[in-house]
Amino acid sequence: MTTSSAIERAGARRDPAILRKRLAGYGLLSPALVLMILMLALPVLALVLMSFWTQNGFELDRSFTLDNYRQLVATSDEPTYWMGIPFPFAYPVPAILMLKSLGMSLAATVAVIAVAYPMAYFMAFRVTHNKALWIILITIPFWTSYLLRVFSWKIVLGFNGAINSGLKYLGLIDEPLEFLLYNPTAVVITLSHAWVAFAILPIYVSLEKIDRTLLEAASDLGDSRLKRFFRITLPLSAPGTIAASLLVFIPTVGDYVTPALVGGPGGTMIGSLVQDLFLKQNNAPMGAAVSIVMMLIIAFLVGLFLWAIGYRKLRSRRA
Amino acid sequence: MQRIRFIDRMTQGKVSRRDMMKAASAFGVGTLVLPKMANAAEVLTCLEWGGYDSADYFQAYVDKYGAQPNFSIFAGEEDALAKVLAGFAADVMHPCNYSVARFVNAGVASEIDTSRLTHWNDIFPALQNAEGVLWDGKTVMAPADFGNSGLAYRPDLVGEDFLADPSWGIFYDEKYTGRVSMTDNEMAIIIGAMVGGMPYDEAYKLEGDALVAAAKEWGTKAVNVSRFLWTDSSEVQQAMASGEIIACYAWNDLIANLRAEGVPVEFAKTKEGSFTWFCGLTLLNTGKADEQAAYDFIDAWLSPETGKALIEGSGYGHANMKSFDIADPEAIANMGITDPVEMMKDTLVFKTPTDEVQEGFNKVWGDTKALKG
Repeated sequence: MTTSSAIERAGARRDPAILRKRLAGYGLLSPALVLMILMLALPVLALVLMSFWTQNGFELDRSFTLDNYRQLVATSDEPTYWMGIPFPFAYPVPAILMLKSLGMSLAATVAVIAVAYPMAYFMAFRVTHNKALWIILITIPFWTSYLLRVFSWKIVLGFNGAINSGLKYLGLIDEPLEFLLYNPTAVVITLSHAWVAFAILPIYVSLEKIDRTLLEAASDLGDSRLKRFFRITLPLSAPGTIAASLLVFIPTVGDYVTPALVGGPGGTMIGSLVQDLFLKQNNAPMGAAVSIVMMLIIAFLVGLFLWAIGYRKLRSRRA
Repeated sequence: MQRIRFIDRMTQGKVSRRDMMKAASAFGVGTLVLPKMANAAEVLTCLEWGGYDSADYFQAYVDKYGAQPNFSIFAGEEDALAKVLAGFAADVMHPCNYSVARFVNAGVASEIDTSRLTHWNDIFPALQNAEGVLWDGKTVMAPADFGNSGLAYRPDLVGEDFLADPSWGIFYDEKYTGRVSMTDNEMAIIIGAMVGGMPYDEAYKLEGDALVAAAKEWGTKAVNVSRFLWTDSSEVQQAMASGEIIACYAWNDLIANLRAEGVPVEFAKTKEGSFTWFCGLTLLNTGKADEQAAYDFIDAWLSPETGKALIEGSGYGHANMKSFDIADPEAIANMGITDPVEMMKDTLVFKTPTDEVQEGFNKVWGDTKALKG
C-alpha cells in the first residue's frame, strides 16, 4: 500500500459526495446484509454462547463453562469399538457419528461427481441446440419438495418397492432384497440423487468456458482424445468440479432428514445426534457444542483439502 | 419512475418516516413495526399423537368454534416436552399416565378444574383417581383413552418356534434379524431387561451402571435385530401388512386397522406380559389461547361420541363409561376390553419413572442407537 493511496482514501472519507455514494452502496447491500446478520450470524453466535452453558434437568445453567467441550474430548481407558476402529473417548458417540457422517458424505460426493461430470460434459460439448431446455430439464427434480424426493426413494428401495417388485417379476429373486433400505447405503444413494443437479451446473459452467481453440491445438499437436481430456479439459474444469464437490460435501455432512427417513437405526449421522440432543434429550447446550465442533471440523477439512490441491494456484492460472 | 425516485430519495436520506412506513407496509413489513392491532382470539394449539388430530375425536369443539385447533404432532412425550421447554406455546398436551409427571415437574402443566368438564362424572372412577391423573392430590390429566402395548405378530408368517413359546425375546434374537420392529423408545431396553429375567418393577427404574449394562446387552440387540425402529404407527402398520416384518411392538390401533384390511394379526400372550397405558389431556400453562377453549377441547375428548369413534375406529378403550353403551357391540367384543380395571389386573400398568431415571434413559437410548455399526 503506497502512501499516496492512503492519503487518497483519507480524503475520500471526508469528501461528502464519495461518502454518500458509499452509503448508497451499503444501502443497496443492506437487505442482504441484514438478512445474513439476522438469519446466520446471530443464530451462530447464539449457538456459540449456548455451547458454554449446561443443562441441569429442566434448568438451563447460564454460567460460563467448558464442560460440554470437555465431555466431547474426555478420554477413557476402555476404548469403544466401532467397525473395528477404537475410539478412546468417555462419550464416543459424537466422534463415531462424525467419522461416519464424513465417510458417508464423501461417498455421496464422489458418487455425485461421477454422475454429474459426464452429464455436464455432454451438455457443454455435445448439446448445440436448446441448451436452456437441457438446463431446465436438469432442474426438474427440484420442482418437487426435497421431502417428497426422499420419500420416493423409500418407495423405490422398499421391501415391496420398485426395484424389488421389478426383480421379482423378472424372476431374478424369490425373496425381496432387504439390504436396499434402512442402512448407510440407502442414505448415500438418496443424497447422491438429491444433490446431483447442484453439481452439474458449476461443472457445466467451467466446461463451457474452456477455450475450444486450446482443444484444437492439443489435437493438432498430436494428443489423443484421452490425453487431450486429461491435459486440457480436466485441469481447466477443476475449479468448477471443486466448487461442486464442496457444494455437495459441506451440507450433506450435517444432513438430518435423509438419514431419519431412509437410514434406519444404522444409517444415523451427526445431524441425527444434534436433533436428538436438542429435541429428545433436552440438552441444547450439548447439541450446540456438537454443532460447533462439527462446523469447525468441516471448515478445517475443507481448508485442508483446498490447500492440498493448491486451489490458489488453480485460480491464478485461470486468471 | 416512481420506483427509481423512491430508491434515489431513500439513498439521499430524504424519505420521511411516514413514506417509508407506507412503502414497507406494501411488502407486509409494516405489520412487524406498527403497533399491533387488536387480534381475533388466538387459536388453540394442541400437542398430539399422530392420528389423534382427526375431528372425529373432538367434534363438539369443532361444532362450537367452527374450526379445528392447531396441531403439532409428536412421536413421543419427551419430544413434546423438549419442544414446550424450548418455547413452543401449546395450550393442551396429550401425555400418558407414566409421562404426565414430567410435565408437572417441568412446571408447564396446570391443575384441571374438573367442575368445568361436563363429562367428568361419567369417567370410570378408577381412572379419576389413578396415579398420573392425580399428582400430589391435584388433577393434572383428564383421562381420555386407554389401551395396550403388546407384541403384535403375523400368525401366518411368524413360525412355529414363536407360537410354541411367545416371548418378547423375538426382538433380541438374531434369528429374527430384519424381520421385527421395536419402537424407537427406551422400552427396548426395559423389555430386554425383562426378557433377561428382571421384573418390570425394577426394569423401569434402571439407573447408572446397571442401565448402561442393560443398554449394552439388550438395547444393542434390539437396535441390531430390528428392521427399523418405528416412530409413527402408519409406518409400522404398512411394514406389517406387506410382510416386511412379522412382529412388532404395537398398540391396539395396529390390530384394529390391519384386521379391517383383512391382514391376519394377533396380540401375543407373551410370558413376560404385556402393558396397559392410559392417556389423557393436560392443560399447559404455556398457551396463548383462551382457557375456556382448552376446557372445551378437553371436554370434547371426554364425550361418549368421541369414545364411540375411538372404540370403533382404533380399537382403543375410552375413559367415559357411556361410550361403551353407544359403541358398536361387535367393535367392543373385537377389542376385548370394556373395563379398564379388569384390564389392568391382567397386565402391567406403565409406571412413572423419576426425572433422573427418564433423563438417563433418554441419553442411553440415544447413544445406543447411534452406536449401531
